[in-house]
Amino acid sequence: MSLEDLRNRILSITDQTLKYAKDLSIPSIEVFVVEQSLTSLTDHQGKVDSRDGIVQGLGIRVAEGKKIGFSSCTGFEKETVKSALKQAYDIAKVSPENPMFNGFVTETKPAKEGKLDPDILEITSKDLIENCNKMNKEVDLTDKRIISGSFGSSVNYSCYAVGTSEGCLASSLTTTFGATSYFVVMEAGDRKTAIDFIQSRKVEPVEGIAPKALNKAFRALGSKDFSGSEILPTVWEPREAAAFLGFAFFNTFSGSAYVEKSNPWMEKLNEKVASKELTVIDDGQKLDTQECQSIDAEGITRQTTTVIENGILKTFLFDKMFGEAAGFASTGNAQRGGPFGGTPYENTPSVGLNYALIKQGTKNLDEQIAEIDKGILITGTPIGLFTANPVTGDFSVTCNDTFLILNGEKSHPLKSISIAGNYFKTLNNIRFIGNDSEVSGYPIETPSMTFTGHTISD
Amino acid sequence: MEKEYVFDLLHEAVEKGQKLGGEFIEARYDDLQLTTINLTNDIIKTSSSLHRKGIGIMAYYKGTPGYSFTPELTNESIEDATIRAVKLAKSTDVRNKIKLDFDDLPAIKDRKEAGVKKHPKNFEFDDKLELLKRGVISVKEVLEPTSTVGLYGESYGEKYFVNSEGSEIFWVPMVVDLRMGAIVIKEGQQAGSYEGSGNSKGFEFFESEGLPEKVGKEAGEACKDQLNAVAAPVGKSTVLVSPQMGGVVVHESFGHLSEADFVVTGQSPISDRVGEQLGSEHVSIYDEGVTEYGGYYLPYDDQGVKTENTILVEKGILKGYLHNRGTAKKMNAELTGNSRAINFLFNPIVRMKNTYFGAGDLSFEEALEQVGRGVYAIDMSGGQVGLDGNFMFNCSKGYLIEKGEITKAIKNTALSGNILDLLKQVKGATRDIEMRTGYFGGCGKGGQNGLAVGYGGPNVIMDQVLVGGAQ
Repeated sequence: MSLEDLRNRILSITDQTLKYAKDLSIPSIEVFVVEQSLTSLTDHQGKVDSRDGIVQGLGIRVAEGKKIGFSSCTGFEKETVKSALKQAYDIAKVSPENPMFNGFVTETKPAKEGKLDPDILEITSKDLIENCNKMNKEVDLTDKRIISGSFGSSVNYSCYAVGTSEGCLASSLTTTFGATSYFVVMEAGDRKTAIDFIQSRKVEPVEGIAPKALNKAFRALGSKDFSGSEILPTVWEPREAAAFLGFAFFNTFSGSAYVEKSNPWMEKLNEKVASKELTVIDDGQKLDTQECQSIDAEGITRQTTTVIENGILKTFLFDKMFGEAAGFASTGNAQRGGPFGGTPYENTPSVGLNYALIKQGTKNLDEQIAEIDKGILITGTPIGLFTANPVTGDFSVTCNDTFLILNGEKSHPLKSISIAGNYFKTLNNIRFIGNDSEVSGYPIETPSMTFTGHTISD
Repeated sequence: MEKEYVFDLLHEAVEKGQKLGGEFIEARYDDLQLTTINLTNDIIKTSSSLHRKGIGIMAYYKGTPGYSFTPELTNESIEDATIRAVKLAKSTDVRNKIKLDFDDLPAIKDRKEAGVKKHPKNFEFDDKLELLKRGVISVKEVLEPTSTVGLYGESYGEKYFVNSEGSEIFWVPMVVDLRMGAIVIKEGQQAGSYEGSGNSKGFEFFESEGLPEKVGKEAGEACKDQLNAVAAPVGKSTVLVSPQMGGVVVHESFGHLSEADFVVTGQSPISDRVGEQLGSEHVSIYDEGVTEYGGYYLPYDDQGVKTENTILVEKGILKGYLHNRGTAKKMNAELTGNSRAINFLFNPIVRMKNTYFGAGDLSFEEALEQVGRGVYAIDMSGGQVGLDGNFMFNCSKGYLIEKGEITKAIKNTALSGNILDLLKQVKGATRDIEMRTGYFGGCGKGGQNGLAVGYGGPNVIMDQVLVGGAQ
């Protein structure tokens, strides 16, 4: 089966479901259909697990006026689908009206689809084993400092389609390849971990991943206590900066939180929310990223939206319902709990980041470090980032992979430290934005960044 | 669908898998109905009814597993999934160095149901919506929120299991849940709170622990307290952790380290340490399938093993680990019934059941008095741990303890440390145990996020916890 065969089949199922709905006299309907074929293999220190199968499901929203019901089902069996249609309709009939709802998406013109690699359809479990073999061969697992080494590789290809009784019928395809190496190392009681990976829309060589992860783990050994509590600047490597800022943007960019009055920036539109160096674009059309789709999860054309420009909040991100409720148009940001790896058909559309891009600055990481008398270099993702308070912006995280910066140079690795501060103050305390953006594994791409005013303690 | 028909399909898959060369086959079928309602600012933001059903096939070849699945209950689809599973097990065996085969056991034929008095399927949508409306009214009786959120969730259905030994198990999972949230953003003030939980009970849960008025009032009061909260003192402190907070701490920071898949691969820092004194004499930790205290009802795991009350730590001494059949055989340990999958799309991996600290001998007042000065950590809004035992939890609801009494609310603050250091600093616990579970949230591991588990325990006194926050 080709990718186009898959698309045609999913569109056909979508169209057929709309016809079933018509037979049941359902007044207004939106159908979201997904199929994802996946194969994955993990090897944790010689313990191999593998999984291979096809995820299939439908999410159905039915509206009777402003009353909405949602149901979902796994598989595409006729009776199951009809039962889900009836269930959604039954819920709609007894639900109170939602005054914000103004109907489903009408005819839509899909934007560009992300890059597709048909070779991914040919990858087998044997190829994934070979990828693990290649990563394994590049490192010496007999090194006594290594407690465990893990390797993994996966492929999947998927298609989703959205159809509505109002005339929308559109689809989006994705191909994904991934490979990962993860190590736990220890020396003199000092235990460190490190990971490296690639995620791509096409088959990629896996060479270089394992040595990069292992070297990162080794360089963190020999860590010393920070000893005390001090307010210092923090320098974040690109992937760590992405993880850090992802949380800040998750709630503050949300148009639904704006409408529901739970967005702390709800009174900040067209006001300064960050240092003037910061420009953030939500790019739903960056073709080489996994997040790129031609339509969003309710059928709206994917697009590119400037959210923060030179520190000024220009807009929020919206789906159709919340956009209209706020007096804006949708920005094509309807999502269903992340389109892949889970069961998106079990979720109703909600507002989320497509792919946040931070505009690069001028200094590389070393040039940023050179400007700091005393500070902290963050080289591993802290734990607890998602525990930050979305309303107040207060955060306090723990990081096991950091270095002390002294007199403009990276000094020595530190034992576990606590980093605390406030996201909203942090965005106004940007000292440098780097020029070294990397794909992060999150729907956000940033260069390295330096902030001031974080409390460091151990 | 008739139970016997489902069992016949699963038996056919097992036979097919064995004919293809699978040395041991497990086939399971999940048929679950899930309902949620989200009432935000008095409007139904979402309401959903999910039907999640499908078959999972696990094949073993020389101790190497391979897993496949299908959402379609047709002979053709099940056969295809069986072929895929056996093929995976055979093709990946060449790289698998840790063979987790296991001995045959006598077949189990059993059918189990949680003792539910008022099944949620017998209640209308309006009855469930009414619970949320009652909760919101109670929030608003306490303060004027900028925004309110009410969440209702229920999950129930049927689980079937068959394997090469001829086992034939049927059981009925059940969870109901109610949460209330309040947010205030005005005049420079910002505060938010969430309260509530779930249990493996029916609608009777909403007449007792889950009473909407109680949950709503707690959410309102917690939000109100946050408006006047003070920063917790930064540094090492004595912390009294509540049953729900202590339950999450022991689950996340110790429970995962005791999962035998991390032990056999050497990733856990408590590998090869059975019999060692890891904690103080006040520390006992259990992981149980069906408890007398409530929590999540789990009579069997997804390998068809009857769940046990597993003693992980007794009076500070490490007694054992949590196992699937393969790790138990490899480590010459008893079966514990900890092989679980989030749904049919995933292979079972080693997961927890209901994990809790054992009770102590203190009353709550005696515990406060013993703490003297410190923090009472009641609830959290997330946390994260590393496989090195380092943990960080965000205490979203907490109070100062001064002179043995609860005084001011504290702002969100991080509690962090290393669990293996912390267990040595446990100074006592109260007498009563409380357990809970939830439709919302749950445990995450290996890409399988949101697994229903139970957690709880008594109030536990922990010394030397790092309380962090901005200066």
